[in-house]
Amino acid sequence: MNCEKCQELIHDLLDGTLSRADEFTLNTHLNECLDCQSVRQDLSAILGFCRSHRGEYETPPNAQALWLRIRNVVEAEAANVKVKSKAPRKSFLADLFGRSWELSLPQLASFAVAIMLLVSIVTVVGIRRFGNNPPIEQPQQQASNINERVFHRQQVINYWKQRVELNKARWSPEMRDTFDRNLQVIDAAVTQSLNELNRNPHDDISEQMLNESLNDKLALLKEFSDL
Amino acid sequence: MKATSLFRSTSVRRSLPFAVATVIAVCFSSAGFAQQHLSKRYQTGKNVRIELRNISGTIVVESWNKDEIRLSATMESPNAHIVPKQMDESLIVDVMNDNRGRGDVGDVNFKLQVPVSSSVDLETRRGQISVSNIRGSSVRAHVSTEGDIELTNITAGQVVAQNTIGNIFFDGEFSTGGTYEFKSTKGDITIRIPGNSAFRLVAASPARKIALGEFWNNGFKTQDGRRYVGDVGDGRSSVSVTNFSGQITFLRK
Repeated sequence: MNCEKCQELIHDLLDGTLSRADEFTLNTHLNECLDCQSVRQDLSAILGFCRSHRGEYETPPNAQALWLRIRNVVEAEAANVKVKSKAPRKSFLADLFGRSWELSLPQLASFAVAIMLLVSIVTVVGIRRFGNNPPIEQPQQQASNINERVFHRQQVINYWKQRVELNKARWSPEMRDTFDRNLQVIDAAVTQSLNELNRNPHDDISEQMLNESLNDKLALLKEFSDL
Repeated sequence: MKATSLFRSTSVRRSLPFAVATVIAVCFSSAGFAQQHLSKRYQTGKNVRIELRNISGTIVVESWNKDEIRLSATMESPNAHIVPKQMDESLIVDVMNDNRGRGDVGDVNFKLQVPVSSSVDLETRRGQISVSNIRGSSVRAHVSTEGDIELTNITAGQVVAQNTIGNIFFDGEFSTGGTYEFKSTKGDITIRIPGNSAFRLVAASPARKIALGEFWNNGFKTQDGRRYVGDVGDGRSSVSVTNFSGQITFLRK
C-alpha cells in the first residue's frame, strides 16, 4: 500500500467503516510509515476535538438564506473578474505614444547618449560577426605574428631538444653525426621559409613549408628522445 | 739446441709478450665484430601485415609465392636482441622496444620475404628501405633521418614514403581512390607510373624543380613554379609530393 491510498483510507478508519482486511493492511502500513501515522494522529485529534465540543457552536438562524447570500456574493465577484479580462488591451506602441511625455533636459540628454551607445555597440558587433572582409593587417604586423607563432613552437621544440641532449651521450658517434646533420637540414628549411615569409607574409607555400619543417623537427626530436 | 736454452734466448723472451698480446687482440676484435644472424619463418595467411621498427640498418622487403614470412636479420652487435611477435594476421618486429636500456646496438639489417598481398609498415631512424613486388592494401616507409627509399612494382591503396635526407623512388600504380604521399626535405623524388594513371596531384618544391613530363596538362595551376595542383585523367586517386630541396620527377612506364 502506498501513502496516498493509506491517507484516503484513514478517514474511513476513523469513521469505523473500513473492512477488516483493509484495516489490517492499513495498520501494517501505518506501523511502518511515520508520515501516515502523523496524518492519522492529526485527523484523530481534529475529530476528537469536534466530538468533545459538539453543541457548543450552534448553527446560525436561517442557515439556508445565509448560504445563498454567500453564494451570490462569490458569483458576483467572479462575473466582475471575467468582464475585466475581456476588456480590449492597448498595444504597447499605442500605450507608448498615447502617453504624454514630459522629460527634463538632463533626461533627454541621457536618453540621447543611451541611443548613441546602443547604436555603436550594435554596429561594432555586426561588423565583427557578419563582416566579410577580415581586418586588414599591416605586413609588419603579419610578420611579427609569424615570428610569434614560430617562437611558441620553438618553446615546445626546445623542451624536446633538452630531452634529446640528455640521451645523446648513449648514442654511437655515427648516430650523433646523423642526427645533427639532419637537424641542420631541417633548421635550414625553417630559416629559409621564415626569411621568405618575412619578405612576403602572404606566401602560403612558404607558410606550408615552415609548418611542415617545424612539424618534421618536432617529430625527429620526439623520435630521438626515446633512443 | 735444447728447448730450455731456446726459451732463455733473449730474442724469444722479448717477442713472447707481443705474440700473446696479438693473439688476445685478435680474439677480442673478432668477438667485437662478430655478426649475429637470425632467421625465422612464420606461417601466415595471404593478407598479412608486417610492422617493423628498426633503429639503424637497411630493410629489404620482397614478395614470394608462399603464405609465409621469412625473416632474416644480421646484427652488428652481439647485444642486439630481437623478439618478433606474431599476432593473428600480423608480424611485429620492434627493435627499439626489444633493446630498451641495452645501449647502442649498432646496425640491424633486415630481409623479409612476404606474401604478395601483404601490407607493410616500416620505420627506421637511419638506413635504406627497399620494398618490391607488393600488392597489399598499404605500404609505409619512414626514415627519420637519412636513407634512400625505393618502392618497386607496388600496387597498394595507400603508400607513404618519407625521409629527411635521401632519394625516394616509386615505381608502381595508383589505385582508384588511393592516397599516395611522398616527402623528403633534401632529396630527389622520382615517380614512375603507367601513362594512363588518373590522379589529383599536389606537388610542392620551393626549389622550383618539378618536372611533370607527360603528365603535364593545361588544367594544372601553378604558383610561380613552386607548387602544381591539378588533375591527371579523372583524378580519382590523391597524390601529394613535397620536398624542400631536390627534384620532383614524374616518369611514364
